[in-house]
Amino acid sequence: MDYKRDIPLAITFIVGVIAIGDYYTGIEAVTQTFNVIKNWGIVLQGFALGLGAVNLFRVHGRRLSARKEGTDWYFSGWLLLMLVVFIGLGLVTGEYEQGATYSWLYNAIYLPLGSTMYSSLAFYMAYGAYKVLRARNFDAALLFITAVLVIFGNTPIFPAIYPGFFHMREWIFGPIVSGAYRGVRIGIGIGAVVLGIKTLIGMETGYLGRR
Amino acid sequence: MAILTPGRIVPLLALILVWVAVYIAINMGKEGKIKVRRIAGLDAIEEVVGRSVEMGRPVFDIIGMGTFTDSYATQTVAGLSILNYVAGLSARLGAELIAPQAKVDVMPVAIELVRDAYNVEGKLDELNVDEQLPYLSGTQFAWASGIIGMAARRRPAGNIMIGPFWAESMMFAETFDRIGAMQVGGTARTYQIPFFAALCDYCLIGEEIFAAGAYVSGDPAQIGTIAAQDWYKLAAIALSIVGALLSTVGVNIIAELLSR
Repeated sequence: MDYKRDIPLAITFIVGVIAIGDYYTGIEAVTQTFNVIKNWGIVLQGFALGLGAVNLFRVHGRRLSARKEGTDWYFSGWLLLMLVVFIGLGLVTGEYEQGATYSWLYNAIYLPLGSTMYSSLAFYMAYGAYKVLRARNFDAALLFITAVLVIFGNTPIFPAIYPGFFHMREWIFGPIVSGAYRGVRIGIGIGAVVLGIKTLIGMETGYLGRR
Repeated sequence: MAILTPGRIVPLLALILVWVAVYIAINMGKEGKIKVRRIAGLDAIEEVVGRSVEMGRPVFDIIGMGTFTDSYATQTVAGLSILNYVAGLSARLGAELIAPQAKVDVMPVAIELVRDAYNVEGKLDELNVDEQLPYLSGTQFAWASGIIGMAARRRPAGNIMIGPFWAESMMFAETFDRIGAMQVGGTARTYQIPFFAALCDYCLIGEEIFAAGAYVSGDPAQIGTIAAQDWYKLAAIALSIVGALLSTVGVNIIAELLSR
């Protein structure tokens, strides 16, 4: 018996069966057991976060002290600085959860940076559209024509000139896109269910390694 | 109080049926009765790793931002299966694997998988977990900008992205495309599939990522389970057609049955 493999598989099966029981049945004992398991998960995540913070200090402290050429060690320095700032802030102000100072730091630093990244998506999309919308063969030409029609339908000036553009867009989004989308969704749902069952019965061991 | 939750009786029956179908398919697979079509995207993974070796540049494997406790857990498991496969290939062929991490509960599993794959190939001493599986951030755009920066500096020859992705998918696909990396992308997040289809050399659409682990394992029993997936899909198609026809003539028996 390979304990390193069989014990995790047994735990996966038991927890999986309890989760299924919780979803499909109204048995109180099963629901309570599953709630306890979910709480264990939260506790484990808390430990993982704590260990993660220690590990970050270890890994990036080493990179910073080595300052090897070709490595982005200066980012390690910045990361450690921000870690110290946030931990220090929590200890000094006593705001261990969300507080005004944390919110200010978040709003002043992360929010604008995150918004910048998000808004840059427009350019990424333009690049993607340029790459894909080239009528090199019949399929690509079909995609190109469809995309142009949808753009015409979405841009207010075109339906204002000719309302048919709006109806064409609606028709593309309705019978064509919805049909294909539902087909993909059904396939995804079934694939996820089969993978779940394989994981429960120990056939899918990708998360354990393939020994 | 009812033992079974109302509205979930038919789904439970469906689950039991698919369980039986998987069991039958596994046995048929073991007997060699099931053959699956080639999936170009999965076949190309070896080419991606080989290219990285030839060019002397790293190969990236990104499994997304999913966790084990959200509704995208199955996609994360699929991504981890591929990570294990890519790590094995990288260790065997001598490519430098880089797999940046975003989630604290998935990261230890990913590290163990990669360590295990290197160990199987007898190359454990070549693995540097801190540098090859760095934790970047659990926040979407911090993680995304970290990977974009790493890609721009390291200029990998290949990139494999299988798992759940959100808006960052476009950023990754475009950045790696711009630096000339060969890409295999796959996700079951329907809004992100077009982005991968537009920019990746090979794209795995939806359910294909769930078959990936079984496919790359080459194990006949596991390959059998892919057939179970197809049988179930055929049943869904048949139900849809019959249901649509019956609804058209005013008989809603299928819709009513499925809502029980």
